[in-house]
Amino acid sequence: MQAFLDSCAKAVLEGDADKAEKLAREAFDKKYPLLEVIEKGFVEGIREVGRLWEEGILFLPELVMGAEAMKRAMGVLHPALAKGGDRPKSLGHVVIGTIEGDIHDIGKTLVATMLAANGFEITDLGADVPALRFVDEAEKKGAGCIAISALLTTTMSGQKRVVEELKKRSLRGTVKIMVGGAPCSEEWAREIGADGYAGDAIAAVSLAQRLIGAR
Amino acid sequence: MTKDFLSTVKRRVVIFDGGMGSMLIAAGLTQREVPEAWVLGKSEKIAEVHAAYLAAGAQVVTTATFGASRLKLQSSEAGKRLDPEKVNEKAVEIASAAVQHSGKHDRFIAGDIGPTGLFFPPVGQLKAEEARAAFKEQAKALDRGGVDMFIIETMYDIREAVEALRAVKEVSGLPAVATLTFDKKPRGFFTMMGDAPEDAIEALLKEGASVVGANCTLQSGDMIALAEEFRLLSDAPLIFQPNAGRPVMEHGMAVYKQRPQDFAQDAVRIVAAGASAVGGCCGTTPDFIREVHSALIHGK
Repeated sequence: MQAFLDSCAKAVLEGDADKAEKLAREAFDKKYPLLEVIEKGFVEGIREVGRLWEEGILFLPELVMGAEAMKRAMGVLHPALAKGGDRPKSLGHVVIGTIEGDIHDIGKTLVATMLAANGFEITDLGADVPALRFVDEAEKKGAGCIAISALLTTTMSGQKRVVEELKKRSLRGTVKIMVGGAPCSEEWAREIGADGYAGDAIAAVSLAQRLIGAR
Repeated sequence: MTKDFLSTVKRRVVIFDGGMGSMLIAAGLTQREVPEAWVLGKSEKIAEVHAAYLAAGAQVVTTATFGASRLKLQSSEAGKRLDPEKVNEKAVEIASAAVQHSGKHDRFIAGDIGPTGLFFPPVGQLKAEEARAAFKEQAKALDRGGVDMFIIETMYDIREAVEALRAVKEVSGLPAVATLTFDKKPRGFFTMMGDAPEDAIEALLKEGASVVGANCTLQSGDMIALAEEFRLLSDAPLIFQPNAGRPVMEHGMAVYKQRPQDFAQDAVRIVAAGASAVGGCCGTTPDFIREVHSALIHGK
């Protein structure tokens, strides 16, 4: 079993999406404990990708490929788990998007993919999302966290509007807010009353784990 | 008299200009606009920036065409409305007029080509031929406008820099400078895509770049170390154009805090490390170039 788990981790680490999907199907066909396959196999792989990214050994292409492999494996395993009435352990629900007036999508999508790969449920609203819509969706989905990307100095003020809207609806106590994007910083997060700032997709995963992750 | 950038840069240190985008933002450009719209609509603002850099001692004037490839323009609402050929030709006209006006006829005009903003697989779906076609269109218009040379800059993927170089070489015999933008990682300097300096140098020289180097992302202090690394790896003429430090946010605006004098001292060290050309990137202003000029020329 350990050898199988290792090959799952390896498929993600090497960014081999076909292999990851094949292994996921194999796990299903052979009735392996799927939660264990996810947690001790594929998730180990994506954690290693994150670690090597932080050390400057892997770069954007490897990160994207690792996340894609993870996504393909989960695309097989999630429905399989749901069918078995066995819900994969979710670390929490994150509503994510790029703020209104801002069309930059790549960083936000990468954060969404890495969060999903690490066990968060994600609602990705895309780019150019009005502040109110973040809050509406978080309320509707019962999300524990809103993640807002802003790549422009002129659009980042929209992040503040999300914080204010949450306060207005008395949701500030239950919904955490994380911000990211080129012009943002720890200071900016503090200034607008957000709960944290993440400089890249890997940091975003740690931050989300800290803010709402139950582990 | 035809101006020969190549023999000049082999003979002595050449001072390029500094940031254009951050200067235009200071002059009122909003994030809903693109600098290229000002080339057509507010050309006098672009001309003022060129004039200020020329007066500060810049020997190369870079056209305001960083984002003027068709692919880049198409990525924004404001850019979509612009005709790439017109923008590129007009930008050269503005730069030429500024040089004429300054009376300094030995100054070079560099046709600026920046990244498309799109990504090659696996990150995005950009195709080599697509990138090449967009760069070719831009290079042709810059060449027609009458540039003395090209500068391909801020590339984060060697593959895209190579396509830009090939495009330039297909339409023009003029020299090309090519720079990538590196970040400082725990194991050394790499582009976002993981390209190392030695791979960049090899690929760019092979494709016919006359001068290679780095710009943007790094502040001047870190750029010294990168210049030293480049020098160890190659005999080719090198160029470095650092940012004016790391931007900090003040009242929702990006502010660059480095003092021009400190930048200039680092520029001297970059030249001592072996650079043949220096200039500035984001946040640098004519004051920075004036200080660089005075530090390099007068040794103060």
